[in-house]
Amino acid sequence: MNQYIDLFQSQRALLDARSLPVFNERRQEAFEAFQRLGFPSRKVERFKYTDVAEAFAPNYGLNLSRLRIPVNPYQAFRCDVPNLSTSLYFVVNDSFYKDALPKAQLPKGVYVGAMQDGTFKDLFGSLADVNSDAITALNTMLAQDALLLYVPARVRVERPIQVVNILRSAVPLMANRRVLIVVEEDAEVRLLFCDHAADDVDFLTTQVTEVFVGKGAQVEIYELEESTHRCHRFANLYADIDEGAHLTHATFTLTGGLTRNQTDVRLSAPGAEVQLYGCVIADEQQHIDNNTLIEHCASGCKSRELYKYVVDGQAEGAFAGRILVHENAQQTDSQETNANLVCTPEARMWTQPMLEIYADDVKCSHGSTVGQLNDDALFYMQQRGISKAEAQLLLKQAFAEEVIHQITLEPLRDRLHHLVDKRFRGELTYCRGCKLCSH
Amino acid sequence: MLEIKNLHATVGGKEILKGIDLTVKSGEIHALMGQNGAGKSTLSNVLVGHPAYTVTDGSITFNGKDLLAMSPDERSHEGLFLSFQQPVEIPGVSMTNFMRAALNAKRKYLGLEPLDASTFLKLMRERRKVVELDSKLANRSVNEGFSGGERKRNEIFQMAMLEPSMCILDETDSGLDVDALRIVAEGFNKLRKPETAAIVITHYQRLLDYLKPDVVHVLMDGRIVRSGGPELAMEIEQKGFDWIRNSD
Repeated sequence: MNQYIDLFQSQRALLDARSLPVFNERRQEAFEAFQRLGFPSRKVERFKYTDVAEAFAPNYGLNLSRLRIPVNPYQAFRCDVPNLSTSLYFVVNDSFYKDALPKAQLPKGVYVGAMQDGTFKDLFGSLADVNSDAITALNTMLAQDALLLYVPARVRVERPIQVVNILRSAVPLMANRRVLIVVEEDAEVRLLFCDHAADDVDFLTTQVTEVFVGKGAQVEIYELEESTHRCHRFANLYADIDEGAHLTHATFTLTGGLTRNQTDVRLSAPGAEVQLYGCVIADEQQHIDNNTLIEHCASGCKSRELYKYVVDGQAEGAFAGRILVHENAQQTDSQETNANLVCTPEARMWTQPMLEIYADDVKCSHGSTVGQLNDDALFYMQQRGISKAEAQLLLKQAFAEEVIHQITLEPLRDRLHHLVDKRFRGELTYCRGCKLCSH
Repeated sequence: MLEIKNLHATVGGKEILKGIDLTVKSGEIHALMGQNGAGKSTLSNVLVGHPAYTVTDGSITFNGKDLLAMSPDERSHEGLFLSFQQPVEIPGVSMTNFMRAALNAKRKYLGLEPLDASTFLKLMRERRKVVELDSKLANRSVNEGFSGGERKRNEIFQMAMLEPSMCILDETDSGLDVDALRIVAEGFNKLRKPETAAIVITHYQRLLDYLKPDVVHVLMDGRIVRSGGPELAMEIEQKGFDWIRNSD
């Protein structure tokens, strides 16, 4: 922890010199919060399953002086998903890649790009509270750039927006990404984030995403992680959903080293809805921890949560999902499910669904299962001539399919189906560019 | 085609089969009858290589090859098919994908190219009509939400797809009403080739009325205690099994 305090103190001037006031203004408070909080130990409830201090202990370089990274993402990550045409943007390490923006195909008023000072200054950092989370505090004290995505009221963005996060470095690198998504009243947008690593070195990323879903707006966010086992990802997402609005957020963790996704959703006005999905395929020494909090703050809100893990090899998975129904949140409708397949005696899964209800007129359920592949089904398939390995594969795929099935974007659904198949066949062990696009 | 000699087998350390000798020739139908616990299902499970069963003595030759040396999927490729007493549900795996994987695995084993999608779907359509299996069922997950009768029809449908040379029908009549039994039995008769052999495990004469066995065996306490023609099944229907036990 001290290395980050020293780094901040010694490099403060450089950080400030290379960043806009919107970032600099928040550093001091974040720094004080980080010093006070420190990295959470495993005794802190939300961090029970991941050793944060250990992940942050190695020495990583930071690109504080914002040197240009030699990469042409458009060449390196040529995108040709069949039938999925997206407006494609890149973030290299933690900087928005400005050089070659796609031809303007966005509706009028929609903005995707680097955050500037001005209009959204007050929203930035308003959901991601530095005083309650050390990773958010650390990210805020070091952030120098942010991706801003803005959809004005009543605008419907037809073409999905795809953001490819590329990690690119010759030496071990820490990147602190920041995303601000503002979708105003009755607007609609679908976003796809893909995480890749272009180099085989150690990467540590922190990512803080804030999502404002305005009245009656419809937002879908898909995050796909296909990095290397040398990548450590700590991603905190905060969402606020207004009256009658809907957010779908799905994470697909296909390859990676250590992943911790923390997703906090506030259903803040009547009739707000959220669907959280997660699909995790882990093997070797992967460690994947999804931690969610859904707060029902108003009446008539609905939440659905489904996380499925296939844990193989010596991998370790963790899921903790807390649903908090406040006193005034009557007619809450909430369902939470976590189902897990643990495929080897060495694989581990920790699961903790939590339901906390202070209202008296609600419909809530939560549950989790941990199990192995069904031997009877395996034998049945073998009797029909399907080899044991192929039968296991079909059963794992079928298990993951339930989450993939929830994707409304059909070409993406087909693509993920294919990627998950490749992943189970062991053909997706390494990141060689955007698999979503190029295979 | 199938030759079982002095077969002994255990499950959970308990000896169930205590010396079975049975020879089935191409095109023959053999009925296997016997009281609960006599070892009928154990025999069918041993034949298809269920991992819970251990063969402690004896041999099984299938088309001149050592069946016991083969994995369950190899046995299937060689032409052995079991219609399960209780077909299992496989949520998330569609009938179409399941059958395609099975059929193409067999074709690969035989050195044939996989079937193209349209030929495969046409074959599916053709075969399922014979057992009156609804197209909706074919699009669902394997056996998921199928009634008892639909599951049994689905077994016969799969048999028709894989065209085995030896079928074991393990209490295919259990849980079926009279009409469903007729559809399954007639479907079996229509779909099997003349050279297909079968071992039919049943408690009742009714299924045998349709399938017309060449030989009837009575299994008792892990051994075949009596073999005869179709009239043996009739006699059992009238007198029960104790008559055989008492006459020994």
